[in-house]
Amino acid sequence: MNGTHDPHRIVRGDEFGWKAETLPYKSIPELFRLRVKQLGDATMMRQKELGIWRAYSWNEVSTIVGEIGAGLVSIGFEPGEVISVLANTCREWVWCDLAVQSIGGVCNGIYPTDAAPQVDYLCSDSRSVYLFVEDDEQLDKYLEIAEALPLVRRVIVFDMEGLASFDDPRVISLDQLRELGRIHLRQQPQLLEERSRARSPSEVAVLVYTSGTTGRPKGAMISQDNICSVLASLSTTLYEGLPRGGERIAFLPLCHIAERMIGEFVPIERGSIVNFVENPETVFENLREVRPSLFFAVPRVWEKVYSQVAIGLSEADKLQQAAYGWAVQVGRAVAECTLEGREPSASLRLRYKLAQWLALNNVKRMIGMDRVEVGLTGAAPISPDLIRWFLALGIPLREGWGMTETCGGGTATPRQGMRPGSIGRPGPGLEMRIAAGTNEIQLRGPNVILGYLNQPEKTAETIDADGWLHTGDVGHVDDDGYFYITDRMKDIIITAGGKNITPSELENDLKFSPYITDAVVIGDKRAYLVVIVMIDQENVEKFAQDRDIPFSNYASLTQAKEVQDLIWSEIERVNRKFARVEQIKKFYLLQNQLTAEDDELTPTMKLKRKLVEKKYAQAIEAMYR
Amino acid sequence: MTQVAGRDDDVILALANVESSYGPIKAIRGVSLKVRRGEIVTVLGSNGAGKSTILKTISGILDPNRGSVSFKGGNITALDPSLIVRRGLSHVPEGREVFPLLSVRDNLLMGAYTRVDRDAVARDMEMAYTYFPILRERALQDAGLLSGGQQQMLAISRALMAAPELMLLDEPSLGLSPKLTREIFEIVVRINRERGTTMLLVEQNANMALNVADHGYVLETGRIVMDDSCAVLREKEDIKEFYLGKKDSGVRGERRWKKKKTWR
Repeated sequence: MNGTHDPHRIVRGDEFGWKAETLPYKSIPELFRLRVKQLGDATMMRQKELGIWRAYSWNEVSTIVGEIGAGLVSIGFEPGEVISVLANTCREWVWCDLAVQSIGGVCNGIYPTDAAPQVDYLCSDSRSVYLFVEDDEQLDKYLEIAEALPLVRRVIVFDMEGLASFDDPRVISLDQLRELGRIHLRQQPQLLEERSRARSPSEVAVLVYTSGTTGRPKGAMISQDNICSVLASLSTTLYEGLPRGGERIAFLPLCHIAERMIGEFVPIERGSIVNFVENPETVFENLREVRPSLFFAVPRVWEKVYSQVAIGLSEADKLQQAAYGWAVQVGRAVAECTLEGREPSASLRLRYKLAQWLALNNVKRMIGMDRVEVGLTGAAPISPDLIRWFLALGIPLREGWGMTETCGGGTATPRQGMRPGSIGRPGPGLEMRIAAGTNEIQLRGPNVILGYLNQPEKTAETIDADGWLHTGDVGHVDDDGYFYITDRMKDIIITAGGKNITPSELENDLKFSPYITDAVVIGDKRAYLVVIVMIDQENVEKFAQDRDIPFSNYASLTQAKEVQDLIWSEIERVNRKFARVEQIKKFYLLQNQLTAEDDELTPTMKLKRKLVEKKYAQAIEAMYR
Repeated sequence: MTQVAGRDDDVILALANVESSYGPIKAIRGVSLKVRRGEIVTVLGSNGAGKSTILKTISGILDPNRGSVSFKGGNITALDPSLIVRRGLSHVPEGREVFPLLSVRDNLLMGAYTRVDRDAVARDMEMAYTYFPILRERALQDAGLLSGGQQQMLAISRALMAAPELMLLDEPSLGLSPKLTREIFEIVVRINRERGTTMLLVEQNANMALNVADHGYVLETGRIVMDDSCAVLREKEDIKEFYLGKKDSGVRGERRWKKKKTWR
């Protein structure tokens, strides 16, 4: 199929019959008001309070958003000003975002794992005038740097626990702000409607800072037009054929464009209920409680779900293991049919029914995904084998590709015609191409951001005069218009021997091992490839336990000879798939269990290549000695 | 390398991949640790971390689901507790558990029931009275009439009466005043120095334990998360924050929230 079309042609999403919807609104505040009118007392979101799910109706949220918005106006907020939110993914985050947008403000998110100096940079660069913080822990970050932030006029705290005796004129509680808002609304009940007309949908409404593996984070300026263009493409692409409504779980940081879209804006558009997890560690418990109809997660979470099943299975009895083994085999056969667009034979269908009844449905129930109609993955590459495994269970796991600079929109894999390994085709209204020479993927469309705040040169580098966004991803397109990413442009390794190597191919294969959480392949201008590996603590511990390999803490686990051998055997398994010059010769296991607070990880828990290379320079050098 | 091997020869107690459970509840999930002869080793951990379970598994009160316990090079996994005592390993249980209706003296003699050399037993009883003079004064009283601290002294002395090479101490400070705790720990150290008795000490009073012990393990939900010399452990951020209560009070002077544990 390949080779008959120009590999550098422009591929348009509309070629595949994908059409953007005409939306009855021009901005998120308008959409929100529309849904409040339509859905009224139906539940919009849930969050646990002292262990019990508390539901908020659309009407309730509308009242709260109104109060917060009016409260901000009453303390002096002016349209176009920037407000930052420093909190974990929670109901208040969404309330504040909607309030800020409703009064013509610009809402910027700060990662709750960021340290005080980063908070300082993000508030200063964005010129934030108000700062919402979750609790005393986040407030303390502000207080450390308060002197450096003269522009911040007030800090508003969601949860005042532990702050009863704290008194600072710069700090008020969210409840106090809402009270101010209620008073203000009595005099000016139409305030929000008036204010929301203060800005045009083409102006910046949301700031999303990209983590930036090198240099300072850049603030991507996103307009209502950007957001709405992505919302308009949903019903024909990723959400094709899915009913409206349903349940969702939100747990990734809302300052990241993926969860902002899929965990906040899209549910408003689709009228879905959003359930906020208690904290990032309870995702899997909450998943079983909520049993969502759609689950979006980054590959790392999907991998974890898979390895949980693998672990659970190893503790099951022989009969159960045999039943599962057979069922997954049948499921995989069905999955292959689906992928190739064939109808499974009658006998296979029958066996699949039996397999579902015997094992697969139980597995789905165990992971809280028995109601999932579609799984979405994005923000990082996912192993095709993993997609096949979920498909075997009966969970279509669809990949979308987008980035902050495309407001999360981009490609999607069609419902009929998934191709594991491919990121899919461009969405409606989008044009994409592979640049000649560099093979960089470029995109043009209404979802491309306005630019980077305060950085016209960076903006010009990224979005060219013709409106093409230079994504920095390298890849190719096949004759059917499916795009494939081989790597980030700047990550491509050219070995001392002159061979071009795309490290992410090797890394993704390594990550499919239940024992490896993440890996960074290194070898630019070197004689051979080496890899830095972060082990999966739970699975490797179990491996050691089952084989009576003594270890005490995490570091001693990574030093055990058998564990080193295990990881090496996983590397050799991957090596076998690649050419001789692409073989990994040595490896190093990270000695610390990394958390989101560590610099080495992105907020979506990926290892940052450049940082890892710098921080573990010594270990890397040792591998070349 | 030879030095390390030499030290390993000195290992008196070794646990490898020990898992123990109470019914379906796993209390320890794969614990490996070593105690060298003559050392005081401590296992720190909060309530329910599995500290007492480790000691019970060592002394044979609880049989592990997997893993092995070796003492002086011999396998003692799931051996009968009385046989383990005979090999020179005594357990001072949590909550003292003295025999309340027996006199102090009889309690001590109960500790020596495995021994036949009456003279040696008498000498050891004398020694116990030297370490804890109050026990001599109360020798003929029922143990149940002693104060908590005195009962703890009796429990330690009773364990000593088996002339152990290794003593397991389960929270000797439990329910005692700081002053009494200090006194008891001083004597524990003296016993260790004077008699060369190796000690494996389980404590919630991390400050005290880290001061008297040579080496420490930190246990969290049945797993070891840290393992180092006590001098090093005392300086670790997480130990300061979660075990020693020495946190910086933050910008507001009254920090309530806890940092995330990283165990580095």
